[in-house]
Amino acid sequence: MNSDIVVIGGGITGIAIAHELAKRGEEVTVIEKRFIGSGSTFRCGTGIRQQFNDEANVQVMKRSVELWKKYSEEYGFSFKQTGYLFLLYNEEEVEQFRENISIQNRFGVPTKLITPEEAKEIVPLLDTSEIIAASWNPTDGKADPFHATTAFALHAQEMGARILEYTEVKDIIIADNEIKAVKTNNGVIKTGIVINATNAWSKLINAMIKLPIRIPIEPYRHQAIITQPIKKNAINPMVISFKYKDSYLTQTDHGGIIGGIGYEVGPTYNLTPSYGFLREVTTYLSKIIPSLRELLILRTWAGYYAKTPDSNPAIGKIEEINDYYIAAGFSGHGFMMGPAVGEMVADLITKGKASLPVEWYDPYRFERGELRQKALQMG
Amino acid sequence: MRPLDLYEKDSSKRITIYFEGKVLDAYDGEKLPVALLANRIYWITTSLQGRKRGAFTFGPLPVVINGVKNMNGRKTAVRDGMRIERQNYGEFQEVVEIGENKETIQEVVDVAVIGGGMAGIGAVLELQEHLTVAIIEERGWLGGAMSLKGITQEGFDGSPREVIDELTSKFNENVKVFKGTISLGVFDEGEYFLVPAVKKGQLIEIMAKKVILATGAVENILLFENNDFPGVFRLDFALEVMNKWGVAPGRKVAIVGRRPERVIPELEKWGIEYVVVPNPKRIEGEEGVERLIDMNNNVYEVDAVIMSDYRIPDINPVTQAGGKLTFKWGYYVPVIDEQNRIREGIYVAGSVTGIKPHYANYLEGRLVGAYILKEFNYKSTPAVYREKLEKYEPEALPPLHVDFKAMDLKDVQICGCDVDLKKVDDVVKQGITDLQIVKRLTHLAMGFCQGRFCLFNGAILVSQRTGKEMSTIDLPVARPPLKNVRVKALAKEG
Repeated sequence: MNSDIVVIGGGITGIAIAHELAKRGEEVTVIEKRFIGSGSTFRCGTGIRQQFNDEANVQVMKRSVELWKKYSEEYGFSFKQTGYLFLLYNEEEVEQFRENISIQNRFGVPTKLITPEEAKEIVPLLDTSEIIAASWNPTDGKADPFHATTAFALHAQEMGARILEYTEVKDIIIADNEIKAVKTNNGVIKTGIVINATNAWSKLINAMIKLPIRIPIEPYRHQAIITQPIKKNAINPMVISFKYKDSYLTQTDHGGIIGGIGYEVGPTYNLTPSYGFLREVTTYLSKIIPSLRELLILRTWAGYYAKTPDSNPAIGKIEEINDYYIAAGFSGHGFMMGPAVGEMVADLITKGKASLPVEWYDPYRFERGELRQKALQMG
Repeated sequence: MRPLDLYEKDSSKRITIYFEGKVLDAYDGEKLPVALLANRIYWITTSLQGRKRGAFTFGPLPVVINGVKNMNGRKTAVRDGMRIERQNYGEFQEVVEIGENKETIQEVVDVAVIGGGMAGIGAVLELQEHLTVAIIEERGWLGGAMSLKGITQEGFDGSPREVIDELTSKFNENVKVFKGTISLGVFDEGEYFLVPAVKKGQLIEIMAKKVILATGAVENILLFENNDFPGVFRLDFALEVMNKWGVAPGRKVAIVGRRPERVIPELEKWGIEYVVVPNPKRIEGEEGVERLIDMNNNVYEVDAVIMSDYRIPDINPVTQAGGKLTFKWGYYVPVIDEQNRIREGIYVAGSVTGIKPHYANYLEGRLVGAYILKEFNYKSTPAVYREKLEKYEPEALPPLHVDFKAMDLKDVQICGCDVDLKKVDDVVKQGITDLQIVKRLTHLAMGFCQGRFCLFNGAILVSQRTGKEMSTIDLPVARPPLKNVRVKALAKEG
C-alpha cells in the first residue's frame, strides 16, 4: 500500500488534519490502533473556548471556533455557542482576567467582565455569594467530541482520505533521514510524510524514529463525572472555577451534568477511576452549583491529558528527519483546537508555513529552554 | 382491603397518603410503589421522552414527595399524610438545603462481602468463627433472590423466610451487617481494599483485606413493544410484591418469557389468575397494562405482565473490580482461578459465577469462605464444598432470537433511558459492532443502571444482526459508582 501522507492517530487531531489535507486534494491515510475517536477524544469533556491568556492561543482558538461553526453547520453535528463563564473570587483574579480579556478583545474575541448578578442571569443555579465578578464570552461553546470526530472522519473519507481502524503502527522505516514506510500489524504502507498525532502515546511514535530532540509529553490521568440527566438548559455555558480546584462543569446535550477538577495523577497510562476523585469532585462542583447535591451520580471515568511543561502542544516539522511532523501534547485542551490544528498542519505540509502563529507551539522550544507562558488549563 | 391486597394487613399501621391529590389507604413503612400498586396505580413517573413508566421494570423512579422533586420512589417508605406527585425524569430540586455533612464512618474488617444473598450468607457463616466480616446488602433484608420466593427451595427444609432467618440468626459478633446499603465499588489501595458504601445518605468506608463479590444475577429483560409500560413486572419485582408485601401484581396477569415455571407456582399459591403467553408482541393501555397482543395477534385482556425468563449474572461489580469476562452457558461470567478469584484478594460466589439453585450458591459462598480461611492459615475444608458444588452444573441460557421484522422497533425499549431498539439497530446496521461505539452513539448502557439490564441485549442484537459470536463481543467495563448515589453523600464539608 502507498500513501503520500500518513497520519498516525485517529482522534480529533489526526482526523482534523486528514480532513484538511484531503480537502486540499492530498493523498492521506489515517492509521488508528482502535477506532476513530477512541482515545482521549472519547473521554473528553466537550468544551471549546477562546479565553486563553496569550496572543497565539487566542488567535488559534478564534479561528478554531470559526471552523467549528462552519463545519457543524455543513456536517450537521451539534456545536452550541453557550459561552464560557469563569468565576472570579478576588481582586487579584479580576486583575489577571482583565489582562486576558484585553488580549482576547484585541483579536476580536468579545469577552467581557460581568457582575455576579449578570452571571446568575446566565446560570440561575449558580451560588454567587462568594464571587465578585466573572469573565464571560458568549461565543465559546461545546460539542460532543465523538460525534464531531465521526463527522469529520466521514467527510474526510468522502474527500478521498483513507482511514484504517484497528491498525497499529509497529515501526517507521527510515533510510538516510528519509521516511520510507510505516510498518503496521496489517502490512506496510509506503510513504514519505508522517504526522504523529497520537497525543498521549506520542513518545512511543517518536521513539520509533529515534527523534533527535527532546519533546517532553507525558500522559496524566484526569477524571470526569456525569450526573443523571435533568431538564434541558439548566446549565448552558461551561462554568469554570479556579478557586475550587480548577473545576469545570456544564450540561451535555443529553441532559447530564458533566465536569471535572484538577485532580492529576501521573505520569501514568493507568485509567482506573479513583475513589479520591469521587470525593473531591462532588465537594467542589457542589460548591459552585449547590443543587447538584441532590442529583444522582451515574458514572465517573478517566482519560489522558498529554502534558507538556508549559501546557502547550508541540506542533511542527522535525528538521532532522525528512517530513516527520508532530501535533501532540495538547494538555487537556486539544479537542477544541482540533480544526485549527488541522489547518496549521496542512499549511505546513502544503505551503511550508502557516497563516496562524504555529511558532508558539514550536517542538524545539523545550530543547532550547524557551518554555511559553503556561496556557490556561482546566481540570 | 385495597383492590390488590392479598390479605388483610395490620390495621394499627393503616395510614393515609395522597397521590396526585387522591386519598389512598396505605400501611406505615410500606414501599411507595407497593402502596400505590395495592390501590391499582401503576403509572408513577414519566421518562425524558414522555413515556409513562411504573416501578417494576427498568428505569429510575423519580417522584415528588411532599413538594421535593427527584426523590427515589423505590427507596421511599410511605408515612402518614405523605403527598406524592408524578414528575418527568428531568425534574430536579433547584433549591436545596445545605446541612452539615455527616462524618464518614470507617470500618476495618478482614473480609468485605458485597451482596447479602445466599452466597453472601454462606461466606459469612464460614468466615465468622475466625475472621471479622462486613456484609453489605442493598435491600432492607438479607436473603437475596431466595428471600423473594414463597415456596420451599431445593436443598433447604422449610420456607425461604424460615431458612434465611435461621441461618442469619447464627451470625456472631464478628459480623457487621449493613442492610439498605449500596456499595460504590472496590478500590485497590495496596495494603487493603476500600469498599465505600452508602446507607441512608451516610458514607461508610469499609477497609478489608479480602473482598467477596456475592453480587448475584439480574432478570433478563424481554424485548417487545411497550415493554417499559406501567404494569410490566420483572420477575424479581413480581415476587417481591406478592411474597414480601402481600400485594398482587394484578387481577389477571400474563406470563411472558421462556421460563413461566419460575412464577406459576407462586401465582397459584396466592390464587392469582394468569395466562401464559409465549410470544408477546405488544402491550397496550392508558395508564397501565390493559391488553397484551401476541405474535399471532391474539389479544389477552390482562392488567399486568410478568417477564419470567432467564437470569444472567450482574457483571458490573466484577468488571469495576478489575475482573475479566468470558462467555459461557449462554451468558457472560467472570474469569476465575481455581479458588474463585477474579484477581488477587477478590473472590466471587453465587449466581454471579453462573446461574444455579439457591442451595448451590450458598455452598459456593461457604467454598470461597473456606479458601479465605486457608489464606489466613486457619483450618478449612474447601474440598468438601467443592465436591458438593460439582453436582450443580450452571443453567444454560439458550440463544434468544429477536423477531425484528414482527415488531415496530421504535416501541421496543432496550434500556430504561429512552433507548429504543430501532436506535440501536440502526447503528448496528451501519456496520458498527463495537459496543463501546454503540453505547456512545445511542446512549445504551449510559443511564441509571449502567447497562445492567441492557448490555446483554445489546450484545445479542449485534450478534444476531452481524453473525458475530457472542464470545467475541467485548462488553464495556463498569465504572464507579456501581449504584447511583447522590452527590451530597460523597461531598466533604468545609
